[in-house]
Amino acid sequence: MKPGSEQFRSILILILVNVGIILVLSFLSPTFLTYENLLSVLKRMSELGMLAIAETIVFISGGFDLSIGTIMAISGLIAGQMYILGLPFFLCILLALLGGMAAGLMNALFIVKLRLQPFIVTLATMSILRSIVYGVLRGKTLSHFPESYLASGDLTILGLPFLFIVLVIFALLATLFLQRTYVGRQIYAVGGNERSAYLSGISVNRIKYTVYILSGFICACAGLLFSIRIRAVIPDAGLNSPLEVVTAVVIGGTAITGGKGTIAGSLLGVLALFLLTNGFSLLNLNPFWQLVVLGLLLIYVVGREGISKALVGKRLKKKTHQSAAIK
Amino acid sequence: MIRIDHVSKSFPGVVALDDISFQIDSETVHGLVGENGAGKSTLIKIISGIYTDYEGDIFIDDQRLQINSVHEAQKKGIATIFQELTVVRELTVAENIFLGREPVGFAGALDRAEMERKSQQVLNELNVSFSPRDKVGDLSVANQQIVEISKALVLNTQILIMDEPTSSLTEKEVQNLFSVIHTLKSKGITILYVSHKLEEIFKICDAITVLRDGKHIQTSLKSATTPPDVIRMMVGRSLNMLFPPRTAQKGDLLLSVKDLTRVGEFKDISFEVHAGEIVGFAGLIGSGRTELAKALFGATCPDNGEIKICNQKMKLFCHPREAISQGLVYLSEDRKQEGLILLLSVRENITLPIVKKISKNLFVKRKEEQNIVDSLIEKLKIKVYSRDQVVETLSGGNQQKVVISKLLLTNAKVFIFDEPTRGIDVGAKYEIYKIMNDLTADGKGIVFISSELPEILGISDRIYCMREGSIVKEYTREEANPENVMSVLTGGSSI
Amino acid sequence: MNMPLEQKIQEKRSPLRNFRELPIFLFIVGMLIVFSIVIPGFLSARNFVNISRQIAVVGILSMGMTLAILTAGIDLSVGSILSFAISIGGMGIPDGRTIWVVYPLVLGLGLILGLVNGFLITRVAVPAIIITLGTMNIYRGITMIVTQGRYITPIPSQFLYIGRGLTPFLFLLGTVILFIYITLFTRFGRNIYAIGGSEQSAVYSGVPVQKYKIAVYAISGVLSAFAGLIFVGRSGFIQPQAGIGYEMNAIAAVVIGGTSIAGGAGSILGSFLGSVLMGLILAGLTMLSVDPYWQGLVTGILIILAISMDSFRQLRSDRRTL
Ligand SMILES: Nc1ncnc2c1ncn2[C@@H]1O[C@H](COP(=O)(O)OP(=O)(O)O)[C@@H](O)[C@H]1O
Ligand SMILES: [Mg+2]
Repeated sequence: MKPGSEQFRSILILILVNVGIILVLSFLSPTFLTYENLLSVLKRMSELGMLAIAETIVFISGGFDLSIGTIMAISGLIAGQMYILGLPFFLCILLALLGGMAAGLMNALFIVKLRLQPFIVTLATMSILRSIVYGVLRGKTLSHFPESYLASGDLTILGLPFLFIVLVIFALLATLFLQRTYVGRQIYAVGGNERSAYLSGISVNRIKYTVYILSGFICACAGLLFSIRIRAVIPDAGLNSPLEVVTAVVIGGTAITGGKGTIAGSLLGVLALFLLTNGFSLLNLNPFWQLVVLGLLLIYVVGREGISKALVGKRLKKKTHQSAAIK
Repeated sequence: MIRIDHVSKSFPGVVALDDISFQIDSETVHGLVGENGAGKSTLIKIISGIYTDYEGDIFIDDQRLQINSVHEAQKKGIATIFQELTVVRELTVAENIFLGREPVGFAGALDRAEMERKSQQVLNELNVSFSPRDKVGDLSVANQQIVEISKALVLNTQILIMDEPTSSLTEKEVQNLFSVIHTLKSKGITILYVSHKLEEIFKICDAITVLRDGKHIQTSLKSATTPPDVIRMMVGRSLNMLFPPRTAQKGDLLLSVKDLTRVGEFKDISFEVHAGEIVGFAGLIGSGRTELAKALFGATCPDNGEIKICNQKMKLFCHPREAISQGLVYLSEDRKQEGLILLLSVRENITLPIVKKISKNLFVKRKEEQNIVDSLIEKLKIKVYSRDQVVETLSGGNQQKVVISKLLLTNAKVFIFDEPTRGIDVGAKYEIYKIMNDLTADGKGIVFISSELPEILGISDRIYCMREGSIVKEYTREEANPENVMSVLTGGSSI
Repeated sequence: MNMPLEQKIQEKRSPLRNFRELPIFLFIVGMLIVFSIVIPGFLSARNFVNISRQIAVVGILSMGMTLAILTAGIDLSVGSILSFAISIGGMGIPDGRTIWVVYPLVLGLGLILGLVNGFLITRVAVPAIIITLGTMNIYRGITMIVTQGRYITPIPSQFLYIGRGLTPFLFLLGTVILFIYITLFTRFGRNIYAIGGSEQSAVYSGVPVQKYKIAVYAISGVLSAFAGLIFVGRSGFIQPQAGIGYEMNAIAAVVIGGTSIAGGAGSILGSFLGSVLMGLILAGLTMLSVDPYWQGLVTGILIILAISMDSFRQLRSDRRTL
């Protein structure tokens, strides 16, 4: 990413937004800028951050994944259910991850083989998988997990929560994958212009399989993190995630039309979201202010070019009109 | 009277119009000529309300034109036939002709009978045989263009603008169109006729304006100028400098195609390309050349036929990857949709087909990539300020060079160039011809598809003429001339 | 190119082929038959009235959604508009405001919110899915902030008539007929298809694309508010959380009804049948005392089936025309 490039600028804006939020909140609330509070924010954002990484990769490839939150729920469910059945725990985790990848594969199969729109396909799989989660859990929660597994949630390394460190590691790996590997390059190409990519000899279908399976895998990891954090598996895990994640990712400068985006931007978007939530609750404000602010931010960030163009265009017109009048 | 007053318009990387001023008199047919990329269509789109952010003014009968959409232009009596086909394939002919201005009756209901009646009337004037109820998607490209023309004719207009309306029409259809134009002129309508085909311009226009590289060169009455004059002004240099001399020697057989067929697109195509040869494919739009190229390349799957590369029989390609690995590459006529990834950098675009090859353990070797890209930028004289510049911001000619660089990197033996000079300026065209020359001097073979007769004739060693999905005639460089080729393409007399 | 032409035209002209809604219609008939056989009491007037009331809200939302999707857009904010309009428009009810004041206010709010969507989508030149995702959040947030999350209850009986008996369904039918007329027989309606089919062609042909798009989202806004009124009539109170997730149900109904998410193809009738089918199956499953948890499974499979069928058709004809 070059300084001066558009992506660089949008990340800069986001850093400023986050810094701004932090400054304002630390003025308004004495408890905001405390270690405990910030720790809890970072810890809480870990699973949504993971989902954002998954969605960013999917968006860059020109796709859409509404099923991220549901895959997160189902992976926790698989791990918990298998453990209850008495399987060794590492096997449970493995199955949970495979389950997530299988869900991604299912999405990809529909999208590639039947050339269906990702938005609708994942809307359907979201509905199907969620229904399975509901049907299996029947309103109950699972909380039977090995203690050492759950304890990792309280772990801190160098003062940072373990869950957050996992997120950072995933973010670094994903960035490396997208920016430095040829598969990453091909993902950008497919999202930027599928036709050109195809005619350049890229196996577009293979890229799509890769992307959705990878997304499923990362979401499954998010599910495990989530179960660690709340020490349970709940039926509604990730119910609102698609909307929150899409908002954060788009605010982070990733194009919904594909070919453009960064992991860093998305995570900054998620951070802003959690800082706002945290701040509003510390200030005893109606938490729903967060929705309003996020919505406005979303429209502003994606629309700023269009907004300024509309304004500049108007001005330009006026100017030429004046010059005509003078003549 | 239309007065264009100091109009300028730029796109990222190109100045499409540079301070244009001239005047079009009422009740005349005014020709607007210039090479591809001269800025004709851009000017048209400004007058018709598509581009609203430009500098300068346009006056119609001394009223400053202030419109924000085609819709408003039509209300002001300006009707336009755009160069791009703007038909909606799912709708019928009549629905297309009246799109956006459907006659309505009681309770806002469409008056379909009226639509069909009036459509039929226009179609009769143009002397064509399809019906207003046909679905436009089922018509040939030529007939779709006629629908396009009809769309403008049903409007009640003072000013009619036609941007290259005849690009896929046959001689007879062109004649019908011209007689309609004559009638309209006698009814007091002002017509702006855009073309880069001089015969047409000199046949029907009263006055001629020449654009070149976005600049206004001259406006004069037809009687005050001659075709050679206009050509000189269009190209801005003498004719013999237009094409570099061919020096390459014909070598071994590289590609031979036998009875290649894809149902509904082309049939029983057989031809050969030798090392050192540029083989031209001439044809009207819709004659099946691009479809042939795409099937050869595996972008679509051919139904049957036989392809040999260097005398090796290939299985018919069904994915571009297969063709590329066998040394056959394709440059699309539409570089933005089918060549470039506009959001990515010059570097990323150029190495796209070989990015896997220059990687080790998944990771792209950055140093090697940079060296490859830098050497190509230098070799093809691509004008960029950095190899990381986003290709969207390059001019048409430089974008095309980026696409060509991609192909060069694949070490191909046979290059299919589909309209490689479309939409780029004259200087860059010459450079592209030179690149093609150098490639053949290097022992490569080129399939050259173009709708510009002069360049096909100017640079090909042999020419295949295609019509309605078949090769109907083959000419050597010496035999071919504009007259005989054109008459073959349009299905005229001599074959 | 000439040879298959005749053939193709004939195929396209055959009326059954043109009746895209036929499969879903048959499916509904099939479901009706199956349910009436296996569920005692399914074939009763009371049951049908019940089902029809459940269909009405999503059915009406799906009308606006159909228009938006036909233009290759989408309206994710329908659920939020619904709750905004009834919660804020209905704030005067405890003070004794009657339907003569409240109804126009609610519909007016729907119109305004829809217009805001339309203006943003056309002016800011950002995909509709992003804009309406944003306004969905904003509208929902404002609703919750202004109402403080409080219910409005009780509601005077005059607000309940609209939700009684067959009334909701009759309103749905009326809406369906109106929009079938609009989409098939008016200039606005036909041009919506052109916009979705190829926006550039529509612009170049002089269709006032921006104006029509704004109108589409305004209509969707009004219909959302209208659906909200029925919702209030049915439930007997106003809750600011109303309508959460309804956008997905509406999209499901539209897609199951055969409208292409890519725009340009589909129908109001299809969306209506889509809502009916969804409502019918859910009701049937409930009566079979299948756990409500499994409803999503059925919806999801229906969506996949519907779009796959369309895609198979497409893939086949692609090969022929390409
Ligand atoms: N939408 C566009 N974006 C970027 N460049 C464009 C666009 N339209 C035209 N151009 C460029 O502007 C120049 C003039 O194009 P055009 O008006 O289409 O020429 P003509 O019609 O004379 O062939 C060309 O260099 C072309 O590449
Ligand atoms: Mg042009």
